Amino acid sequence: MSSGSGTLTGTGRLFRFALRRDRLRLPVWIAVGTFMVVTQSVSSQALYDTAADLAAYRASVGSNAATIALAGPPVGLDTVAGAVAFEISATVMLIAALMAMFTVTRHTRADEEAGRTELLRSARVGRHAPLLAAVLLAALACVVLALTIGVATTASGLPAPGSFVLGASVAACGLVFTGVTAVAVQATGHTRGVYGLVGGLFAVAFVLRAIGDIEGNWVVWTSPVGWAQATHPFSDDAVAPLLLCLVVAAGLVVAGFALLDRRDLGSGLVQPRPGRPTARRGLLSPLGLAVRLHRGALIAWTAGLALLGVVYGALAESVETLIGENEQALAMFGNPDVDQLVDAYLGTTFAITALLASAYAVSAVLRARAEESGDRAEVLLATGTSRAAWLGSHVAVALAGSALAITASGLTTGLVRVAQTGEAAALGRMVGAAVSYVPAIWVVAGVAVALFGLLPRLATTVAWTAVGLFLLITMFAESFDWPGWVGDLSPINWIPTLPLEEWTLAPLVGLAAVAVALLAAGFGGFRRRDIALG
Amino acid sequence: MTTAISVSGLVKTFGATRALDGLDLEVATGEVHGFLGPNGSGKSTTIRVLLGLLRPDGGRSELLGGDPWRDAVALHRRLAYVPGDVTLWPSISGGEAIDLIGALRGGLDPRRRAELLERFDLDPRKKARTYSKGNRQKVALVAALASDAELLVLDEPTSGLDPLMEAVFQECIREVRAEGRTVLLSSHILAEAEALCDRVSIIRLGRTVQSGTLAELRHLTRMSMVVETERPADGVGALPGVHDLRHDDGRVSFDVDTDALDGVLRHLAGLGVRGLTSTPPTLEELFLRHYGDELAEDGVPVAQEAGRP
Ligand SMILES: Nc1ncnc2c1ncn2[C@@H]1O[C@H](COP(=O)(O)OP(=O)(O)OP(=O)(O)O)[C@@H](O)[C@H]1O
Ligand SMILES: [Mg+2]
Repeated sequence: MSSGSGTLTGTGRLFRFALRRDRLRLPVWIAVGTFMVVTQSVSSQALYDTAADLAAYRASVGSNAATIALAGPPVGLDTVAGAVAFEISATVMLIAALMAMFTVTRHTRADEEAGRTELLRSARVGRHAPLLAAVLLAALACVVLALTIGVATTASGLPAPGSFVLGASVAACGLVFTGVTAVAVQATGHTRGVYGLVGGLFAVAFVLRAIGDIEGNWVVWTSPVGWAQATHPFSDDAVAPLLLCLVVAAGLVVAGFALLDRRDLGSGLVQPRPGRPTARRGLLSPLGLAVRLHRGALIAWTAGLALLGVVYGALAESVETLIGENEQALAMFGNPDVDQLVDAYLGTTFAITALLASAYAVSAVLRARAEESGDRAEVLLATGTSRAAWLGSHVAVALAGSALAITASGLTTGLVRVAQTGEAAALGRMVGAAVSYVPAIWVVAGVAVALFGLLPRLATTVAWTAVGLFLLITMFAESFDWPGWVGDLSPINWIPTLPLEEWTLAPLVGLAAVAVALLAAGFGGFRRRDIALG
Repeated sequence: MTTAISVSGLVKTFGATRALDGLDLEVATGEVHGFLGPNGSGKSTTIRVLLGLLRPDGGRSELLGGDPWRDAVALHRRLAYVPGDVTLWPSISGGEAIDLIGALRGGLDPRRRAELLERFDLDPRKKARTYSKGNRQKVALVAALASDAELLVLDEPTSGLDPLMEAVFQECIREVRAEGRTVLLSSHILAEAEALCDRVSIIRLGRTVQSGTLAELRHLTRMSMVVETERPADGVGALPGVHDLRHDDGRVSFDVDTDALDGVLRHLAGLGVRGLTSTPPTLEELFLRHYGDELAEDGVPVAQEAGRP
């Protein structure tokens, strides 16, 4: 690291500027992370309020590889506090890692990509200052997150030392990924590449610790997520693993500075691969282009939902022991007979998967809006491409893609169930249950299309708000006893909860009519309006 | 003479902003027509109305004998467009983008495509995210010039090109004109219009202020000169058509009306000229000089408008 005099000039000013730019963003990340721990704490304390409940829980998850793979080491499960740390730490560590990744990238690579860094560097700002300011900001956010988790979890009724160890573990994971991002932003020349690299490394770290936790062996120690979880909050409260995280984080940041000295402003260490000099025939149509633009996201969502299908399927077996003996959990699933428990559980998981598939469909429709406001629609709409064909290409990918993603999830759940029960019929039932949600998903996509056509400038905000509301309604309307008409606001709720309930035609017809009306409104509005930039 | 573009009294508002305020524009078939105006004067807005991307609030417009809004798709097959700010898809190479835009318009000539890539010195393998602004502009230019469109609509196509490429561009436009095709070329660089255009229309604040051949507009121009002479050039200030004379360390600088240029040069020749630079006025200067007073009387904030980057 050749930080001669002046390479850090301006760090303080940049740091304060970055803090100002993120004054809303970071509090939201911190609030979400803290909120998740507190919610888990409150609901676990209510759910396992007797020693018998806790013992049943311990027996069920302690031997369930799928749960351990998703959560962490099954230690300290003899107290509710330990169960809280077990269930929530992995999720909050993911949040901390993402917060660190987005924060560091925003103030380094993203600024550089947009040419803002060039502007700054020509002013009196040293070469290392932007990276240092970004790292300091991410570190500050992690420390604040540790403190808020510590304070809020203590306030929710769990022991104070363990609460702060939990917070510190989460922060330690965030700090390691601050360092990872500091290196990644040097390696690749564009923001999406950074997200791919850091996200991929987190996934690898997560899988390594999952293997280690299931096998109960040394593999855990190959993963920073494993180190952060090795503190075992509320049982061991060990702090030594945190030091390992800190040392590695610092080492990575130093490496980031060293790499920064070896590259040019605006480019990465890794030069991007060249593309094709001429286009393949398949690209030369609006749909061809749309498929190309959506391909990466569609593959990722489909793989993600397929994986979720495996997890949900794997968990089905332990549902009986996990929930069967707990009245509150039974209420959450609408008090079915214990025989029907698994079907009820699967029905709920498909509703959740359908919400995720709707989120994908909305993001795919809104891609059209991003193309429009990013000026990339204009050049195509000035060719022989009609507005309907252009919008239709994105909508087609959204509709077909969301159907594909949820079908994949039904397929994997079905295969896992066939392996568990030996009944081949389970496959058809699971795929059928998943596919039955397609009309509802298309209605949500239709809402986004209608917004795009009629209210382009508000479309992104309003469409995501609608997805959020549908999510709230579908998940909570029943357990919170909201009036029936509120539940009906979410198209997902129109679908009978397969495989528990019977399939009926009426909602399908209703949803199809609504979807067609929404699409017609969207396409009609788009045909009549200005192509709006910005 | 047939008309390729005919616009009259065009009005377009964005909320409170009146971007076009009764704009007129006539472009004859086969001519290169310069469409000039300072930043924010409404050039891009006019072009986007002509492409059917924006719906006008008033006035009449006709493009290649059709209605730009109603017949958009059919008309687009006959024209090629280069936007002012070319943005491309980050993960798609320049060559792919050229082929895509060309194919959607109705095909392009592969021989001409290869030749243009060569002349513009553009690497078609690069992904768009690694192109500079100028190179992205070249991608759109190659896609447009490799087509056989009868009308080229170019919105400030050279704002990111270096002087070498600017020359290549001018050469290409002359070839296009030789083939009898029509070009609408928006710009705020007067020199570029002078080099290429048969006729120009000058707009300001969404209204056409001048339209005609460059010779007709010549009286509008005034050169800025800096001269270094052996004997003091004090007498220059007294010559007709000379304005704003300044002495600066043995040199004099002044502005001179184009029609008075001859007399001034004759006078200077007698003083022993050691060095001379002359710069044509920027469009903004032109506007300030010729319309500034008039607009100021109307209560329009002239300096602020013309001074915008
Ligand atoms: N989508 C829009 N929404 C609101 N105002 C707009 C929009 N598009 C253009 N304007 C306004 O209309 C006016 C004309 O803009 P236009 O882009 O046509 O100017 P221009 O002559 O192309 O300028 P430049 O030389 O900078 O490209 C400007 O005042 C601009 O701010
Ligand atoms: Mg413009």
